[in-house]
Formats: sequence, structure tokens, C-alpha cells
Amino acid sequence: MDLGLVGKRAIIPGSTKGIMRQVVEQLVDEGCDVAICSRSEDTVARALRELSGGRGKVYGRACDVLDKEDYESWIAEMAEALGGVDIFIPGVSAGGGSDSEKNWWKSFEVDVLSTVRGCEAVVPLMQEGGGGAITLVATTAALETFGGPQAYNALKGSLLVYGKQLSQSVGRDMIRVNAVSPGPIYFEGGVWAMLKDTMAKWFEKTLRDHPQGRMGTAEEVANCIVFLSSPAASWVSGTNMVVDGGFTKRVQF
Amino acid sequence: MEIIRKQVIERVDPDAQTRGTPAHKAPEQDLGNELIPKDRYISAEFMQREWEGIWSKVWLLGCREDQIAAVGDYICTNIGRESVLLVRQENGGIRAFYNVCMHRGNRLADDGAGHAEVFQCSYHNWQYNLDGRFKEIPDLHTFPQGAPPCSGLREIPCDTWASFVWFSLNEEVEPLREYLGEVVDHLEPYHFERMSMTRWVTAVWNCNWKASVDAFSESYHTAQTHPQLLWYLDDYNVQIDLYDKHSRYLIPFGVLSPRVDSAPEIPPPLKVLLKNAGIDPAAYDGSVNDIRRAVQKHMRAHQDALGKDYSDLNDDQLTDDYNYLVFPNVTFNTHADDLMLFRNRPHPTDPNKMLFDIWMFELVPAGEERPKLPKHDFREEGSSRSLGLVIDQDASNLASVQAGMNSAAYPGLWLSAQELRIRHFHKTVGEMVGESSGTRGT
Repeated sequence: MDLGLVGKRAIIPGSTKGIMRQVVEQLVDEGCDVAICSRSEDTVARALRELSGGRGKVYGRACDVLDKEDYESWIAEMAEALGGVDIFIPGVSAGGGSDSEKNWWKSFEVDVLSTVRGCEAVVPLMQEGGGGAITLVATTAALETFGGPQAYNALKGSLLVYGKQLSQSVGRDMIRVNAVSPGPIYFEGGVWAMLKDTMAKWFEKTLRDHPQGRMGTAEEVANCIVFLSSPAASWVSGTNMVVDGGFTKRVQF
Repeated sequence: MEIIRKQVIERVDPDAQTRGTPAHKAPEQDLGNELIPKDRYISAEFMQREWEGIWSKVWLLGCREDQIAAVGDYICTNIGRESVLLVRQENGGIRAFYNVCMHRGNRLADDGAGHAEVFQCSYHNWQYNLDGRFKEIPDLHTFPQGAPPCSGLREIPCDTWASFVWFSLNEEVEPLREYLGEVVDHLEPYHFERMSMTRWVTAVWNCNWKASVDAFSESYHTAQTHPQLLWYLDDYNVQIDLYDKHSRYLIPFGVLSPRVDSAPEIPPPLKVLLKNAGIDPAAYDGSVNDIRRAVQKHMRAHQDALGKDYSDLNDDQLTDDYNYLVFPNVTFNTHADDLMLFRNRPHPTDPNKMLFDIWMFELVPAGEERPKLPKHDFREEGSSRSLGLVIDQDASNLASVQAGMNSAAYPGLWLSAQELRIRHFHKTVGEMVGESSGTRGT
């Protein structure tokens, strides 16, 4: 199957590590040009070095997605460098935590507000270009009880609501909006690799709860994000693709 | 797990420090590279030499002063085949005696804490005053030779330091402070007397007492045995200082191990560190690598709000582990807000067993009620009840280490520079039993 990504242009904030880094690598391999950022200049410079020489070109600079002005100008600069935007994948997250009220503010600002700001900056560019694909990143913790009541779960859930409704409003502009909800994903440098050491019992229990006895990989999630963001998924919009190897127990009608 | 990052730990400048425990690096000692013979861990003959050369010669930790606060309060503690009574006197002092009735040799009290007006032998009711002198010998007239000439219980040297009661079976022992040496100035800044004892556990472990001392004297085992700690401390950039008999290492807490590349978010144990220091982990915006300094600065600036007085500690001590081995058998795992004290005692007869004591202390904020003294929690051999995650992880190694040491294939300990304190410990053990380290058993 041809994903149709050759020559496409993608903007992916917070993408020097983890699942989003994997998405960048796969897009570049497919021949897509990509713009990246993270908060640290050194990290961006290193990622740009490592990603250079692939099928697609990679652009980027340090940017704090919590800084509205900085974030919006980063998107504008990257769109200019890329010559337009076809794909936007905001996957930045504050992560979990239930030990402080501050978690709610952080999850709102990082997971929700930065996503909304990003979409609002990107949609006009996509309208100009005649369409595009936005893929949001949620979590199975928004779909089923997991790890106790906390901001991460609730506000990732709000992204699903936002994404669905955005898909309705921009459908006429040929912009598709989807979400991916990964279950627990294990990779070196990821949260579950840390929890394996620091909360070993919780890690083992979560592992046992997986029908296949393992957690997902960053590549398995990136595969789905890349597909939904590609022209190959041209007739998919407003959906929430659960990528959890059968971890969640609910029925999804 | 290999070292994958170069990590520079910002430490207190020992020449410029204006407060706290001296951070100076002690002069290096050339201890050689010889193998430490395994017979030191498994031989009954060596065990006997330890008794003669070490246990009956040195100062030994007995209890906390506040465990025997009132007149007549006592602690009965065993060391090897001996049992000792530490007794609060009417004049407020403390005296130590062998726990043995001079009549037929019966023990007067059982291991643990107690209170007595007089010590009464349960066999024939010989009675002793708190100062050890005979109070009453029933039917004394039937002893044609009269009462024993010793006039009562056999007294032994006893002294206090830093809220702890120490004793020695050696009547000629040097003064306690002289024996403790550097340790006195190094540990007094923690003001253990302000801390409250919260836990008092004794467990019977299936290993030699030195195997346990070894386990708490090196950080090389952290990566394999305690992987969770790699997200909390630097197990590699450790300052090791060897003194005369005693030693210490300084382990930076509040940082990632250089065996870990980076953390995807603040690791759970560092969140606890932040929280305990009064910083909301969710509000902490800095880098994970800066948590150690942030905690130090916050504790220093907010000590009044925290109800703590850290004025005698240096900045490193606000986060790091200052870990001392007071020879032969006490580990002071020391932190600004707590002390984890481990006492490693030999089994009375079996070199393959030991008694492991855990004494935990916490610095209770000013104005808060101090907890009641804990009851003695004794764990029989083979008890599966948890002693806490980290100690369970250590304990799970030790029985198997001891079993392996008994193998014909194993000659002895092959040590790294990270395990230098073990080598130093064995040098002292060797000298005290009249044998230099690494010359036998190969």
C-alpha cells in the first residue's frame, strides 16, 4: 500500500523523543518533509543531525508550546520553510500525576490548550493549501479507568471531544481530524521503562493485564498515527483509533 | 547497566564550607588488590577469633538513651553468646552489666526493653539493685562461704554519645570518643537527639554479619539489586573516605544515576523528595537534573516553615546520604530528616547466621508531637514479612551469597574500587584478629 506521503509536509511539535520521534522518523522514511521542536536547543540540534540525510527534509528549532506567541511563530516559520502544511500531529503531554492541583493546570495548558492553539494556527494554513490531516494523541486512560482519577485521563478525554467536533467543522475544507489512543507503551526512555524500575509492582500488574503479555512499542503506535495522517486514510475522519493490543476491556461500537 | 553519561555532581567546597560535616576527601590508603578469603565468613574458628579480637575489645552500640528514660528502665541486648543489661540509674546515669545471675548463671532479663525496681532471678530469686549490687540473697545463711565476693552483677564500661548508649566488654577499652574518632565531629551536626525513633526491628538473617556490613558499604550493587534507586541517586559518583577503623561514603541523592540517560518525567522517588522538602512536584518547572540543588536551596530557605533546624548541616547534607560505618558493625545511613541505622550482630554460634537490627529515626517538625517509642519487632528466621523494599532486595541476596560462599569453587571476595570500604573493613578485621587481609584461603 502506498501511503501517499511523498512530498507531504508535516508539523510535529514536541517530537525529539519517544513516540512522536518515531512518527517523525517514519514520515521522513516515507518521503515526507517534517518540522520538529522541543524546549531545548541542544536536543533539537541533535535530533536535526540524527534525522538529516533521510528521504524527507527535516526542519526545526527550540520552541516552548506553552508560550502562545513562540508556538504560533514556530508554526508559521515551519510552514514557510516547508512551503505549506498537510499534516499536523500535536502530541505534547504533561504526563500523569495526582499529587497536586497543579497537575490539572499543567494538563490543561500542555495537553489541551497547546493542542487547540496549534490546530487554530494550522487550520487556516491547511484551508489555504486545500486540505490536510490532523491527528491528536489521546490515551486509553481516557477511555477506561486507569491509574486513579487524574488530570491526564480527564483532559486527554477532552481532546477526543474537541477532535471529533473539530473534524465536523473543518470537513468541508478537506481537513480530516482523528485521534489515536495508545495503551501502555514501552520503549527505552519512556514512562513505562521508568516505572518498571520505580514502581515495579504496578508495572508487572499492567503487563499481566495485557492479553498478549507485553506492552506496545513506539513503532506500533507511530504506524497508526502515520497511517491516519496519510492520504491512504482519506476516508477516515472523526475517529478515535485505539492502539492497545486489546488492553482495554470495553466494547467499542 | 553501564555508565552512559558523564555526570558532574556539584559538591560543597570542603575548604570553603562554613557549616556542617567536613566534606574533605580523606587521604587515599593503599589497601592492595588481594582477594578477601572466604573463610572469614564461614569458619567457626575465625568466628571465635573475631570474638576474642573484636567483639570483646571494642565499643558496641547498645540502645538509644530515650529508650531507657526513667529510673529502672533497661535494655537487654545480646552480643554473640553474651547478654548485656543497660540500666538507667537513680542518679540519672546509665550503667551496663553482664546479664547473668552470679548464683547459678541464669539470665536475669530477656532480650528487649523493660523496667525494673530490682532485678530478680527467676530461679532462686536472687535480687540485685539497679546499680548491680546484691539486694537480697534468699537463705544467705545456708551459704557457709557467704555471698559471692563480687558484690553483685559484673559491670562493664558504658558511655553515651549522640543520644546513643554504648558499652564494651573490654574493661580496658579506650574512651568512647577516642574510639569513635572522626565520627564524633562528623555525625554530631545531625543532632540525632532531636530525632525520634520510629522503628525497631530485629531479623535473623542467614548470612555472616560481615556480608551484611559489606552490602551497606558499597553502591556497586545498586543497578542490579535496587534498579528503582537509579532514578533517585548517583550510585557511581560516590566519595569514599577511609579513616582509621571507620569509613564513610557520600552518595548524591536527588539526581539520576549516570546509568540512566534521562527521565521522561520526574521519577516517582524524586517527586517524593521534592514533596518532603515542601516543593510541589507538579509545580516544579526545572530540569530533573537540577532537583538536587533546588531541594537543597528550598530546604535552606524554608527551614522555619518546615519546622526543622538545618543550621549545622552543609548543603549536600540536605539531600545526600552521608553513610558511615562505625566499626565493627553499625551503619549510620544519615540524612537531614532521618537516620536509618543498621546494627549487624553475629549469631551466638553459627557463622552462617546473624542478627540484623533496623533502627529508624525521623526528625519531627517543631511543634508536632513526637511519636511514641516503637515496640521491638522481632522477626524469626525465615520470616517472609517485608522489611521495606530496599532492605528486602538486599536481604534476598545475602542468604544466597552465604550459601555460595560455602561452595568449594569460591575462594573469596574479588573487589572493585567501588567496594573499597569493604577492603578497608577487612583490613581492620584482619588486624584485630591478628591476620592481615588477603593472605589466606587462596
